Amino acid sequence: MIVTAVLSFGLLIGATITWITGELPRWGNLLLLPAWVLLTAGLAWLSYVWPPIEMRYTSYVLDDDGIEIAAGMWWRAVTNVPRSRVQHIDVLQGPLERSYGLGRLVIFTAGTEHSRVELPGLNHQVAYALRNHLLPRGSDDAV
Amino acid sequence: MPSERRLHPLSFVFHVGGQLQQLVVPGLVLLVGAGSAGLDWQIWAMSLIIPSALFALLRCLSFRYRFDDTELVITSGFIFRKERHLPYARVQNIDARQNLLHRFFRVVEVRIETGGGEEPEAAMRVLPLPALGEIRDRVFAGRSSTRPDVAEDAVTPEVQTLLELRPRELLLAGFIDSRGMVIAGAAFGLLWELGLFDRTMDMIFGENASGRGLARRVFRAVFDGGPWPVGQVLQMALVFVAVLFGLRILSMVWSLIRLYGFRLERSGDDLQARFGLFTRVMANIPLHRIQTLTIREGPFHRLSKTVSIRVDSAGSDAKPGSSGTAVKRESLAPIVRRAQLPQLLHDVLPEIDLTEVAWRPVHPRAFRRVIKVSIVFYSVMSVPFISVLDWWSLIVIVPLAFFAYADARMRVRHLGWALGDRAVLFRSGWLIREQTIARFTKIQSVTLGESPFDRRNEMASVRVDTAGAGDASHRVAIPYLGRDTAGEVYEQLSDEAARTSFRW
Repeated sequence: MIVTAVLSFGLLIGATITWITGELPRWGNLLLLPAWVLLTAGLAWLSYVWPPIEMRYTSYVLDDDGIEIAAGMWWRAVTNVPRSRVQHIDVLQGPLERSYGLGRLVIFTAGTEHSRVELPGLNHQVAYALRNHLLPRGSDDAV
Repeated sequence: MPSERRLHPLSFVFHVGGQLQQLVVPGLVLLVGAGSAGLDWQIWAMSLIIPSALFALLRCLSFRYRFDDTELVITSGFIFRKERHLPYARVQNIDARQNLLHRFFRVVEVRIETGGGEEPEAAMRVLPLPALGEIRDRVFAGRSSTRPDVAEDAVTPEVQTLLELRPRELLLAGFIDSRGMVIAGAAFGLLWELGLFDRTMDMIFGENASGRGLARRVFRAVFDGGPWPVGQVLQMALVFVAVLFGLRILSMVWSLIRLYGFRLERSGDDLQARFGLFTRVMANIPLHRIQTLTIREGPFHRLSKTVSIRVDSAGSDAKPGSSGTAVKRESLAPIVRRAQLPQLLHDVLPEIDLTEVAWRPVHPRAFRRVIKVSIVFYSVMSVPFISVLDWWSLIVIVPLAFFAYADARMRVRHLGWALGDRAVLFRSGWLIREQTIARFTKIQSVTLGESPFDRRNEMASVRVDTAGAGDASHRVAIPYLGRDTAGEVYEQLSDEAARTSFRW
């Protein structure tokens, strides 16, 4: 929200300056206000409406073989990482996530495209439980 | 009693030589470009070579290595002693390089790569040639003695030659691969540095030479209806063709020099490639580091009944905190005759039998989707023609339309995939055909993807992620699969990957 407010304010200043310096012709100036309204509405939508939708389409399935993470509304992708391919796992918490008791699971594989597979928006305890469950049991570090 | 070995006495010369090499071209540029006036500070800068040469000498003098029971120990440095331990079992790769100077003195530069442990790489510059053989033997002996399942009398496995390329084939490879652009690019760069770039560009675009302002005149003719400079256009076309021809020749010569005497051998679990006319390279590719193998066949390949093979090879990188891949895209065989292909593949990937692959096509409605994209693309491309040529643009547009249709058809027809016992295969491309093989043991993760267009057509795509895939690599990414088929393939690949263990 703060980001939206700041950006929107910045855009407002930009629009005002453009109006004052008279760089655009009359019809251009008339469009400035609607354009700013539109952009601000867009930013607000991105901050408020989009995240819940995105979260609704994010899910995971954990079993003995590995973990399967589904994400994306437009471009849906289901990624399966077998247990034997997990290199190591991080549990990340940004400041905001910390205050809400949330965490993010990051699974590292040896792959190129999916060398990091992220699962955001987890309860912190759940994230740790997942991590412990997925870490390779015993050391079979084959060389 | 492990005895200590040292670097070759001339090593520091090569160290300094390496540093000098980096300074030669800029140095030349400075000397040529600056003229006699501003040479003072440059000379002082060059004299910095002397202390760095002294440091190199000290480093080389203090370098020692020895063969312990289970590891190679390397110590270096007088003031700050550094001791490196490389367990034989963790040595993944031993590469060697010799340029002309190396060969004159019969020395070699050795690079050892390991997985796991703290030190990923050890470079030994330079060792006498027999020392290389000794290192290889010792490491191999050390490796097999730590593995109880290997027979004790199998100390040196026999060396099997898989592929040998004659100069004629190398020239062909150079012709097909066309690295001429790289050299031309380097030449252009040099011209630019030396300030000659402007003069050459003037010749082409300016008024100086016989190609007088050609580009300008062509533009004028097209857009303002001025006279067509036919003679000059033909002249320029000839020059263009000559340049293309020249680039190909350059590429062929470059290929011959770089890959001269190409020889691929298999010794136990390792593939060794030796090549080079001036700089001899002995590159090692352990079989288990091969992540994917891609067979590439362009139009010239088809004409000459050859293919070229590339592998993505990756080993673990020991740096803590990184996900760990040291990556190399290597040309396993820059050019191979089609008839030799099955045998070569059998030697490199014995689990796969390419002749018995049951290729499966993509969804029948895939063509409809591809042609739609083609139409949009080619329409956009023909807009500038229409605006410039009006009705004459039909000459360009009609063939383009045919080409778009044919391209879409061929593209879809050449898309195929197959699930073998031990690997998944994918092929694509009709002009340049590429087939990629990824063994189940090398699959890192599997992704089932659906774009909005996929959803509308009830299709999906399946992607397999492997270690060390380069940006331009052909990957196993199967598009336009039916939704159900995609689901099945996804499940099967996930199961196979889960069932097998991954070994670097």
